[in-house]
Amino acid sequence: MSKIQEIKTAVETGKTKLIAGLVQEALDAGEQANDILAAMIDAMGVVGDKFSKGEIFVPEMLIAGKAMQKGIDVLKPHLAGEASVSLGKCIIGTVAGDLHDIGKNLVALMIESTGFEVIDLGVDVPANKFVETIKANPDVKVVALSALLTTTMPAMKDTVAAIRESGLTGFKIIVGGAPITQEFADSIGADAYAPDAGSAAVKVKTLV
Amino acid sequence: MLTKRENLLETIRGGKPDRFVNQYEAFGILVGDPLMALAGPMPNPGERVVNGWGVTMIWPEHVPGPFPVHDEEHKVLKDITKWKEVVKAPPTEASEEAWAEYVEQAKQIDKNEQFLTVFGAPGIFEQLHYLMGMDDCLINFYEEPEAMHELIDYITDYKIKCMDEIIKRIKPECLFQHDDWGSQISSFLSPSMFAEFLLPAYKKYYAFCRENGVELIVHHSDSYAANLVPYMIEMGIDIWQGTMTTNNNPELIKKYGGKISFMGDIDNGLVDRPDWTRENIRKEVERACRSCGKLYFIPCTTMGLPMSVYPGVYEAVSQEIDRMSKIMF
Repeated sequence: MSKIQEIKTAVETGKTKLIAGLVQEALDAGEQANDILAAMIDAMGVVGDKFSKGEIFVPEMLIAGKAMQKGIDVLKPHLAGEASVSLGKCIIGTVAGDLHDIGKNLVALMIESTGFEVIDLGVDVPANKFVETIKANPDVKVVALSALLTTTMPAMKDTVAAIRESGLTGFKIIVGGAPITQEFADSIGADAYAPDAGSAAVKVKTLV
Repeated sequence: MLTKRENLLETIRGGKPDRFVNQYEAFGILVGDPLMALAGPMPNPGERVVNGWGVTMIWPEHVPGPFPVHDEEHKVLKDITKWKEVVKAPPTEASEEAWAEYVEQAKQIDKNEQFLTVFGAPGIFEQLHYLMGMDDCLINFYEEPEAMHELIDYITDYKIKCMDEIIKRIKPECLFQHDDWGSQISSFLSPSMFAEFLLPAYKKYYAFCRENGVELIVHHSDSYAANLVPYMIEMGIDIWQGTMTTNNNPELIKKYGGKISFMGDIDNGLVDRPDWTRENIRKEVERACRSCGKLYFIPCTTMGLPMSVYPGVYEAVSQEIDRMSKIMF
């Protein structure tokens, strides 16, 4: 198995204690940092796909994300100065009145793993906070909104409306969460909907 | 006409119920025993409190319920390997005055009609992630399994001590235990991980309850958990409450009916919403009743107590279940 393939497998299977050594070995063997990063991004794509199919569960996804992060820590100094692999910025948060974070965190993890720079606003985020953050990051490509409660679906609608009314453009809005459906996403004027974290990562790549 | 409790037993034992069990009607639920109060207190809207486990709970006024705070400052357990130094269970003894009030509440339950039911929350899994946050909790199952096993044992023993006290005082007939084990589309843990960590704990806890006179174990998880049903049966659950439509309940009933019963199939996300209508509730209740059938099934919203977020929804669902009883029985 090639070093790159070993790294890919190590991320997929969440080998958090081995990954740093494998990445260092690959670098020492002359592998390009960007190729190693691309392999890890591919690995997370596989993880997201398996999650969407119900073949793996949240802990497996989290541990794979942790492995990737440890690999990136080793790669970072070697990526400086090279062509950026970033797909752009993504602002994410759970809407006002909703304190659920696990789904939002998983989506953030998966979107980040596909190559986005993620700005995580946390939970219970007022609509104006999203607008302010978009203003402060004019190069944002995707805004991702999460709601886990039927009671906060109106807040999601209000947030999308506030973002649209701000007149800011150049990005797409994706929504998700337990009570959210494609129909609801369409009705509030969102650009996209994803039913789970793996699908969200695939969907946002199609939006940019 | 059967009493509510007789009708429930006929339903879950594959007998001859004379109507649908209507949501929670057969359970006289006592919420908040004296030991739960010591493990609390839960904040009121607008408050922030530290509960008996040291977990900071907040309830912002614009949010429907309380939540644990898991930023670095407030997380109780930052390093699972140090849990013995950090985690201290709340007291398992309460004042006689507090118990007297609880015993009085228990006496108000008409046991001819309803099962005297103790409410248990949070569950073992929930207690774990309240202490350390969901992300750390799920990763720790992989990275520190021994410490997780130890902490689960500690929490389980605490729950058994609490139940022992409750049983001595009021002799409950039913335990209604909450522990959410999944999202709407998947279980949080894989079946094998669930079997390794949570199954033994719940087997021990529910066996203790049953050996001490608790006839019915009702477990709430408003989620997908179809992949965990064999373990639910193994741990002794009689009724899984909160089962969402994503579980394909008609299939589960066909496969497991007689070993366990299913209470739910009316998703809160579909009926308990700001734009709820009687027509939509009628449609959902009728779909649930017709597709799941008369045995091993209790039509109910997936809410974990007899209530709804939006006023009128719970009652409307109950009325529609009565309507379906008249049609189908």
